Amino acid sequence: MNSPTPDSSFTLASALDVIDAGVVVVDSARRIVLWNEWMVRKSGIEAKAALRRPIEEVFPGLRTDRLIQAVSDALAFDNSGFLSHTLHPALLPLRGSGGEPLLHNVRIRPMASNGGSYCLVQIDDVTEMIRRQAVLRDRQNARYRAVVDSAHDAIVTTDESGVIQWMNNAAQRQFLFDADEAVGQPIGLFVTNAAEWPSGREQNDATRRITETSGRRKDGSVLHMEVTTSRWSSDGRVFVTGILRDTTERKLAAEALKRLNEELEQKVEERTREREEALAKLFNAQKTESIGQLTGGLAHDFNNLLAAILGNLDLLRKRLPDDAKFRRLLDGAIHGAERGASLTSRLLAFARRQELKPKAVDVAALMSGMTELLERSLGSAIQIETRIPADLPAIHVDVNQLELALLNLAVNARDAMPFGGSLSISAACDTVADAGSVPELARGDYVRITVADTGVGMDETILAKAREPFFTTKGPGKGTGLGLSMVHGLAAQSGGALRLSSKAGQGTRVDLWLPRSAHQAKPESNAAQPSLKVVHPHCRILLVDDDALVRMGTVDMLEDLGHEVVEAGSAAEALTLLQAGAGLDMVITDQAMPGMRGTELAAQIGQKYPGLPIILATGYAELPNEDDPGLPRLSKPFRQEDIAKIIDVVLQRDDRGAKVVALRR
Amino acid sequence: MMQISDIERDAVAEIANIAVGRAAASLRQIVGNEVLLSVPSVDILTHDEASRVVAKPGNRSLIAVCQNFDGPFSGRALLIFPEANSLQLVRAILGQELPLEDIVDLEDEALAETGNIILNSFVATMANVFKRGLTMSLPTVLRGDGGQLFAGAAGEKELVLFLYINFEISQKEIRGYLALLMDIPSLEMLRTLVQDYLDTVSPKGAA
Repeated sequence: MNSPTPDSSFTLASALDVIDAGVVVVDSARRIVLWNEWMVRKSGIEAKAALRRPIEEVFPGLRTDRLIQAVSDALAFDNSGFLSHTLHPALLPLRGSGGEPLLHNVRIRPMASNGGSYCLVQIDDVTEMIRRQAVLRDRQNARYRAVVDSAHDAIVTTDESGVIQWMNNAAQRQFLFDADEAVGQPIGLFVTNAAEWPSGREQNDATRRITETSGRRKDGSVLHMEVTTSRWSSDGRVFVTGILRDTTERKLAAEALKRLNEELEQKVEERTREREEALAKLFNAQKTESIGQLTGGLAHDFNNLLAAILGNLDLLRKRLPDDAKFRRLLDGAIHGAERGASLTSRLLAFARRQELKPKAVDVAALMSGMTELLERSLGSAIQIETRIPADLPAIHVDVNQLELALLNLAVNARDAMPFGGSLSISAACDTVADAGSVPELARGDYVRITVADTGVGMDETILAKAREPFFTTKGPGKGTGLGLSMVHGLAAQSGGALRLSSKAGQGTRVDLWLPRSAHQAKPESNAAQPSLKVVHPHCRILLVDDDALVRMGTVDMLEDLGHEVVEAGSAAEALTLLQAGAGLDMVITDQAMPGMRGTELAAQIGQKYPGLPIILATGYAELPNEDDPGLPRLSKPFRQEDIAKIIDVVLQRDDRGAKVVALRR
Repeated sequence: MMQISDIERDAVAEIANIAVGRAAASLRQIVGNEVLLSVPSVDILTHDEASRVVAKPGNRSLIAVCQNFDGPFSGRALLIFPEANSLQLVRAILGQELPLEDIVDLEDEALAETGNIILNSFVATMANVFKRGLTMSLPTVLRGDGGQLFAGAAGEKELVLFLYINFEISQKEIRGYLALLMDIPSLEMLRTLVQDYLDTVSPKGAA
């Protein structure tokens, strides 16, 4: 194409040959009519080879017909077209001077010349521009990238509609997605509740505070996150960048800590309750113990007084003229003193200081023997049921005290059933395998005796107090409040336990555990003991008691029996008298004395004067069982006949044992 | 204000759907994936009305590909997207995996060509139907709000032939608008041509 110009030395073609762009013109049949030098250099196709050939023949390897289409549209409709390297990478086979592929855009315009339709195809090399942009961007981004990609937390940027545009390395590690899998996906890919992700359209609240939310990984696992988001804009476009910190471990640790704290609190609560219960028990035990000591001490003194009273009354009766009026008065006094003695005995039982004589007891036999007594005591309005298995093993207990205990329980039941009802007494074997399954019981074999009534029962307050001594629900003067205490004392002293269960209006049930005996119960021999031949040898007796009143009464009783009495107010005095060689046949000594006790005295006497009979007078079981020297005992308060009997027994035993005793006859 | 009859409206919509169908075929080649384009409705609006339509909901910043056309009727053709949609569109066309910076860099050029394909196709189809040539300039990319995009030399007197256009590319739906800004004589000319076209298609039909 050689259009003449006014200046013949200048041609348009030469100008087109130096322009820094590809210029190609095609005619209406798409044949190339202009091919500039730039095209020769970049495509390697000489003008000769290109000119007059259709463009599609010159570029046979086009991947798209878009170029041809655009050229056709320009020719047919006068449309201008634009083809971008972004959509058509390597559209034309163009290379730079180093052989590298050129990034190029193509612009297509219709043109008319000399009445014909032509199309101008202009090719622009954008390689350098794109490279410069990339370098510039990389330089700008380098520091930012360094920070963001080395960040430990996931950082994700979305566009304003929440589509993921970019994410850092930490985000890939955290969510296990590669960048090319995640970019272009909605943020819901990472965040469970995508609604929490701010929309770029929100005008306010540009930076959100930290929110806690959950996210998901590619493998479907859930993680806890703290998310901070902020909106920013660049080139008029809004983005949202979020920092998504994985707090899963922290949250789990916090939850574990919380759980631990709760457990700890619960444990502290339990321990506190246990401690309070233990303290309450200890307090009750101490209270019972104190009252026990007090009552024990009191009972001891009372016993001495009662011994003196009864002894003197007995003697008085012998000496008073046989007058019915006197006798009545005297009997009244004796009766009163006897009642006093019975009361002290119960006090001692509660104080666990009574003298128990445990032996193998057959509960069934005991119950059958008691039936009549119970029926009489309870009256006709109360039905008594007893269920004792015939093969129930024997128990090891003081039979008299057990009888008293059952009677006490029965009387309590009667009082709880003023309008009648039924009382059931049953017994069964019970083995305690684990210590603590029944409080107070050690491991072992027991018999449980249950006494249950259908009476008014007790509420919790009364139940808690029921075992306390002197507590009674009965009216003034009707009960001592010692009944249940006595039963409890017996159980404890016998190595058993007592349990009360009751609800107001639903009756009361008492369980009494007593240890099984290693022996079989011996049937109670009905044959009377061979009556002792009552002889009253004249003896010289050393009487040792610190209580002058008791001593005086006892002396009177002994002298009345025809004995001669030497008195001593203490063990020391007694030993002095013995040493002085008072020519004594027998020693009767009180156990509880200040200084040397009765048993200690007996031991010394036994050493120095072997064979000298000693009788121990005891008011209560002051003797620990293991210390029992096996001496004959006189239980306080004693009557003249008691003292006579024991002296006889001692003298006869000595005769049978052929022990030579220096008796002065 | 100029009114457009229902039948004229239908005719323009039909021409538009033919045009975008042709454009979709071109885009499909580029994207290598399913591309569906449709024009669900057509309207004639003033600048203000058109601005209000494109500005909602919350589409304050818009991006448009603009080409001038000249012939029996003249004016500017705009393919308009809210900025967020435009990025989605570009990502859909270029592929999901490109990093954000690249997308931003490539956005204008990619959008220019995409707009060029659609606008050319539209104008070329009209030229074909009306048997009249229309010259189209090269595309340029504009940014701004509705008011800025629709501002033209003819000002208030211009009207807008306004078409909604839906893209569905690789299962992504993207909403845009196609606007032809013309003065009243041009629009009258267009109506005349539409009427002529209707007469040829169905001689008995009346507007």
